[in-house]
Amino acid sequence: MIKQSIIENVLEAALSTGGDFSEVFIEDKFVNSIELQSDKVERSISGRDFGIGIRIFSGLQNVYTYTSDFTEEGLLEAAKRAALAISGGGNGIIHPLQKEIIKPIHTIAQLPQTVEHARKVAVMRKANGIARNYDERIRQVGIRYVDEEQNVLIANSEGKFVEDKRVHSRLAIQSTASDGVEMQSGFYGPGAHAGFEFIENLDLHHYAGEASRIAVTMLGADECPSGKFPVIIDNEFGGVIFHEACGHGLEATSVAKNTSVFANRIGEKVAPDIVTYIDDGTLPNEWGSLTIDDEGERTRKNVLIENGILKGYMIDKFNARRMNAEATGSSRRQSYRFNPTSRMTNTYIAPGESTPEEIIASTENGIYAKYMGGGQVNPATGDYNFAVAEAYLVKDGKIGRPIRGATLIGNGAKTLQLVDKVGNNLAHGAGMCGSVSGSLPVNVGQPMLRVSEITVGGTKGE
Amino acid sequence: MDILLFQEELLKRAKDVGFSEAEVYYEKSNSFQVKIFEGEIDSYETSEEGGVGFRGLYKGKMGYAYTEKIDDDSVSFLIDGAKANAEVLDEDDGSDIFGGSEHYSEHSRYSEELANVSISEKIAFIKEVEKKTLAYDPRIVSVNYCVLQDFSQDRVLTNNKGLSLQDKTNGLIVFIYAVAKDGEEMKTGGAVRLTRDFKELDANEIANEAGKEAISSLGEHSIPSRKYPIIMRHDASASLLAAFTPVFSAEEAQKDQSLLKGKIGEEIGTKNFSLVDDPFHPEALLGRNFDGEGVATKKTIIISDGTLKTLLHNRKTAKKEGVDSTGHASKASYKSTLSIAPGNLYIAPGEKSNEELMATIEEGVLITDLSGLHSGTSTISGDFSVAASGFYIKDGKIAFPVKQMTIAGNFYDYMNGIVSVGSDLKFVPGGYGSPSVKVKELSVTVD
Repeated sequence: MIKQSIIENVLEAALSTGGDFSEVFIEDKFVNSIELQSDKVERSISGRDFGIGIRIFSGLQNVYTYTSDFTEEGLLEAAKRAALAISGGGNGIIHPLQKEIIKPIHTIAQLPQTVEHARKVAVMRKANGIARNYDERIRQVGIRYVDEEQNVLIANSEGKFVEDKRVHSRLAIQSTASDGVEMQSGFYGPGAHAGFEFIENLDLHHYAGEASRIAVTMLGADECPSGKFPVIIDNEFGGVIFHEACGHGLEATSVAKNTSVFANRIGEKVAPDIVTYIDDGTLPNEWGSLTIDDEGERTRKNVLIENGILKGYMIDKFNARRMNAEATGSSRRQSYRFNPTSRMTNTYIAPGESTPEEIIASTENGIYAKYMGGGQVNPATGDYNFAVAEAYLVKDGKIGRPIRGATLIGNGAKTLQLVDKVGNNLAHGAGMCGSVSGSLPVNVGQPMLRVSEITVGGTKGE
Repeated sequence: MDILLFQEELLKRAKDVGFSEAEVYYEKSNSFQVKIFEGEIDSYETSEEGGVGFRGLYKGKMGYAYTEKIDDDSVSFLIDGAKANAEVLDEDDGSDIFGGSEHYSEHSRYSEELANVSISEKIAFIKEVEKKTLAYDPRIVSVNYCVLQDFSQDRVLTNNKGLSLQDKTNGLIVFIYAVAKDGEEMKTGGAVRLTRDFKELDANEIANEAGKEAISSLGEHSIPSRKYPIIMRHDASASLLAAFTPVFSAEEAQKDQSLLKGKIGEEIGTKNFSLVDDPFHPEALLGRNFDGEGVATKKTIIISDGTLKTLLHNRKTAKKEGVDSTGHASKASYKSTLSIAPGNLYIAPGEKSNEELMATIEEGVLITDLSGLHSGTSTISGDFSVAASGFYIKDGKIAFPVKQMTIAGNFYDYMNGIVSVGSDLKFVPGGYGSPSVKVKELSVTVD
């Protein structure tokens, strides 16, 4: 993308004021986005994101600059401008760049850039038809198709020089149902670190059908009661609860500065024995997967909690300095515009032994959360909240009436202690996670599980 | 490559390959951000970036493309991309390229003085804010987010109907979040400032606000979960308004995605509730003199004393209803297709102080912060159920902070439940504003 000799000069200019580490991240990304609404293909845009991020460390100083100017003069100027902020006495040395050849672990069969728009639109129309025909109360369907081909080159003063191609494809379906008075919506958005083969092989009857089924089901739903209930959270995207409740608190971003409730607690029992929590960027072609992270480290399987014991954190190169630890292949950024930091990839609760039937049958009076919406956490306190997209009452071991407007709130560290059943049906769901280094594709996952008590906020009252 | 030459070349080539109308939108931005942790620079970021968005009518259909790499190949990349994107669209939907409004405001959103504040002054200032926040009270155990950022941006919109518009804006934002701890109880509190006048920033005042917010949240108690009269503090109210802004978009209404469809002229809120969009409001940092397709912006009354006057329109939605565009075509950046967004949307202030709003409440809840708005709100049904922080009100006065809560309701009911409106209009980043608002009741669930 840019000549090696220019990169070497930029890395050197970045260290000219005493920094001890410099890095160049070059990104050249191609994006296509198509939207279908009201049965019509309404919007289609394609584009190219291109820019260079330069990072310098001096001890615990972290300086970042980015530019879309790719001329040698422009890059050297940007590196020098960033270096001005460094007041280090370090004697940064540039090791000769060694090109590293990495074997991609996520195979891409059909690069989306080479696939004609017409084929993408054909899949969208098919999904639209399925979602529309699901029920006569479906009033509106929106289909959004997105593909991205991100080419990166990462080089640093330690001699790293590595390139990677990341390809993401996603189809999102939103159905709106109305009975003439009320409106409700349902959403499903499968995605993968894969090419057009993923889109073409999608089970559209399942995904588009589910989006419409959720919307129609919620039309007839009762108001959600408020109070403390045992909550059964179904598999796949249900894992968003632990993404918010624990995952963010295990990122070095908050652990390094002791602002996480999980800081300095390695080896402690933080959850019941049945809980094992893993972040694994190597899962083949999953939405949150990568071959190398955004500072060029190989991704790996990081066991965070094993049988209830806190085992590890997700750590990037910079926070590794503050924590005196090794980086774990967890450094990510949305684009060259973001200084990378530790983030999740595919995070999930490992499967246990209970069957879903057993879990439901053993719940007397609770809530069954079939599909989750998104959520949020305050990493300093661990207080989280998230929305339930499709929920039901559970009475005497049986699933009852659908309920709407359920929000779950609580404290991550406490909720983790209250997991009392873990099912055997692990599955992963695709989402976007927004945090300090931008918005990133991540998978959340879990088998069906039960938390003995969560505060449920609804409109019906107690 | 010179951007003016590039634009000229792009419009010329567009015409040659068969685009009947075409537009080039260019943005160039600079930014600076510094984050402080325990008196040291924790991160320091600068940037210089830009990009070009192209859109054009090809056989009556509007195709889009953008690039951040401006070189010899970019013209072909944009033209070929936009053409392929136009070809895949269904029939003409009324999009066009605009020839220009008669009059444009010359309202300035750029301060030369701000542009000249040195980096060392800015760093010294934000370090001072952190230091003073930590010193506010011994129970402030850390400052977990302390950031100063500033930005400047140039926009240029040029099209082959003879329109050429440009503007320039800058601003500075300060964020600080403090963590307070007492025994096992941990709370955070923050302060945010947006300004174009660096001199008006007062480190003491910012530190006191963040410190006070964190400390006053300590000592929480539970209250019974039920419906309560609510005071939404100005910032919580503005963030709820921001989450429900799509319901005021004519585009959403035309697609059956807003229940305000067909409600123009109807009473949708109480007499105390007026909603205004003012791209020139002096208290808001953002705004614009021309919208995303070059239409002159103006102050728009959306709801007047409870009656819906208009939705937000761009040229396409306005044409469908036989009205004029309200100047709300939005392009979040050169990477975006055209949609609809407000300039500075706010609830019109009333005359009451917060004490007066609270005075008549026997038992109620003051909400100071909402979180989970991106997931706990449905702009389609109007339902919301979101996490909230705040205080219990007893006999017209704040009694104590409440444990983590959720508040739930429906936005359409909410507009009909606004009992009175305070005088303390403030804007949050992103261009949304509100005074504190008293609402008849919402469901409150306490952890």
